Amino acid sequence: MAHTRWTGPGMTRRTALGGLAAASAMAGLPRAARAQTAPLRWWSPQSSPAQAAAYEFQIEAFKAATGIDVVFERTSDEGYAPQLAAAFSSGEVPDVVTHLPSFAAQTYYANGLLEPFNDVIEAIGTEKYYEGANNVFLAEDGNYCATGIGNSAANMLWVRRDLMAEAGIDKIPETWDELRNAVSAMQKGGIYGAPLPYGVNSMTSLIFIGFIHQAGGQVFTPDLQVNLDNEGTRNALEFYKEMREYCPPGATNYSWGESLTAFVSGATATGIYTGRVLINVNDQNPPLADHITCATYPRMSTDIAPWTFNDFASVFIPAQSQNKEAAKQFAAFLFDPPGYIRQLHAAPGHVLPILRTISENPEYQDNAIIQKYSSEVDLMAASAANGFNLGYESPEHQSNSKAGEIIGSNIISEMVGRVVLNGDNVDEALSDASQAIEAIMAS
Amino acid sequence: MQASQTVLERRYAALGLLLIAPTVLVFCAVIVYPLVSAIYLSLFSIFTPTLQGEWVGLDNYRTLLAKDEFWSSLVNNLIWTVGTLTLQILLGVGMALVLHQNIWFRSLARSLILFPYFISTVVAVLVWKWLFNDLYGILNHLMLAVGMIDMPVDYLGTMPNAMISVILVGAWKFFPFVVIAVLARLQTIPDALYEAARIDGAGPIARFFDVTLPQLRDVLVVIIMLRAIWDFKEFDMIYLLTGGGPITSTQTLPLLVYKEAFALNQMGMAAAYAVVMMLIMLVFMIVYIRRTRQEADT
Repeated sequence: MAHTRWTGPGMTRRTALGGLAAASAMAGLPRAARAQTAPLRWWSPQSSPAQAAAYEFQIEAFKAATGIDVVFERTSDEGYAPQLAAAFSSGEVPDVVTHLPSFAAQTYYANGLLEPFNDVIEAIGTEKYYEGANNVFLAEDGNYCATGIGNSAANMLWVRRDLMAEAGIDKIPETWDELRNAVSAMQKGGIYGAPLPYGVNSMTSLIFIGFIHQAGGQVFTPDLQVNLDNEGTRNALEFYKEMREYCPPGATNYSWGESLTAFVSGATATGIYTGRVLINVNDQNPPLADHITCATYPRMSTDIAPWTFNDFASVFIPAQSQNKEAAKQFAAFLFDPPGYIRQLHAAPGHVLPILRTISENPEYQDNAIIQKYSSEVDLMAASAANGFNLGYESPEHQSNSKAGEIIGSNIISEMVGRVVLNGDNVDEALSDASQAIEAIMAS
Repeated sequence: MQASQTVLERRYAALGLLLIAPTVLVFCAVIVYPLVSAIYLSLFSIFTPTLQGEWVGLDNYRTLLAKDEFWSSLVNNLIWTVGTLTLQILLGVGMALVLHQNIWFRSLARSLILFPYFISTVVAVLVWKWLFNDLYGILNHLMLAVGMIDMPVDYLGTMPNAMISVILVGAWKFFPFVVIAVLARLQTIPDALYEAARIDGAGPIARFFDVTLPQLRDVLVVIIMLRAIWDFKEFDMIYLLTGGGPITSTQTLPLLVYKEAFALNQMGMAAAYAVVMMLIMLVFMIVYIRRTRQEADT
């Protein structure tokens, strides 16, 4: 099909018209296109080539519908906190930020750095969301600090059935003992057991918080008193230390990228990641594509419920944005079905829809990866829907607006490193970490 | 006559002030203001994203001096600076001596030797990280292939490997600066000095220590001073290679400043670290310059 200059490359006239209609439907949001002078700046740490292409599609469609320019700028999972801290302090903020964890949004909102998001949620259509999907973004003042742009089940256990069969393992591990035995049996011939992260970074903190819960522990009590020094944390530290010998030597510096690559490349028998594994294996290592599957990550015993880490990837608007109204229009436009589905398809199973209407949309289901791995995608969707993170440790927990600072400070990953890599005294490491977290909570 | 001279002198003085004013203003804007601002910030407890905070006086300094992390980072900083600077000087002087000889492809070699210095730090670090990679790196691959090791070496994730790796990469990246400066000085040493030394029976080693090295003294003083300052405050290469890890084993003071400012959001404390860093460098430089002057005088 030929594209007109008006529609631009990669976008049909029908899509552009659809986008125009969607933009016009945002009746609750004042039009700011004429007032806008500088392009809107959109930040996201999710920027694989396919995702970046989907964003460009959305940007083109938005421009066609409203005349407003948007530029996409990459950040990273490890780099967003310092970058945003610098941006907020200098006043040079992006206008729209997507795919950061809910607890980051809560932290920024609690410090007066974000614009309330209620009217954007209204513009998207509250009836389109899954029930309670925005609860995690409800701030103490009763406003929403952000909305979700997708769910993710970030600590799924990925396994290779071919290696399991070779090692005589007939069941995906459900407990830590089973996991230890399985990785021990599968670690041979240059293949390691697992790519657990041990670096001082956010992945180690976030994954290890999952291990604490998988041992029946918690970082905070429901009323947000620091409760890191508990039996669950101690058991988690002990098991995490035991698992070190089944991880590649370089796991001492692993973060999300390295951990994902280790499993996708076939260097490890198991993986711990979101559904991004699916597209990466199919694109980069097709011989493994028919052997992989996932399960919720094992816990200390089957008496303990699985605990899935969902970062509740968000969309928010900094309060210092000079183009708030245009930014709100754009934020709502991101959920326009053609663009949103394209964005979700860029990493199928990785970012899961938070709009019920999108999950039910046949266009969303019409994807080779989603169809091929439908049971895995369904499991991830169900796990993510019941997922938690440090800002929302359990349904009983109050929302923790300091969670973003705690993760950004690397206190928990540093504690893991001290115990596992340095062999420091567990009591001292736990005490130091608890005091450091208490200091942040008191600040 | 006296009065007209005074008027002229005053006019010259005014003109002098006028001419020097732009330089003073620029100096104040880029040196004095940030310095005073950093000292001022260090007296507050400031939350970085909002830049809001409260006066705490010298509390930040008391806190940092009582912190183990400050002292361990300072020790790391000194190990890194001394280690990489020593290697840079040895490699730089050695390579400059080689390139000063009448060898084949000398011009090409002189150009190529500058390559590490010109290449972007980010690119250099990416290349080295791939070389060091435990699963796919060529270093581990070759060492495994020839049977030197049974398991891949973790170059950046364990100690002392991480510090050694960082020092080596730093030396590789920055030694061309030493080569350029030393080579330029070597080309100006009069041949007569070497001829006289040969007549006196001096061999190559004696000629190096008795002629070349004394002639290089001044340029080496400048090189060591500049490189020590630059290495002491090196941030990007270490941050990208190890992030200060494993845990805080390669965390130097600049990384600690960054961590306080943007990970812990404590801008005031970060400013205090930066001020202390500046004072440490100042003390080292004063001592170093005085000692080299004394040696030159004697």
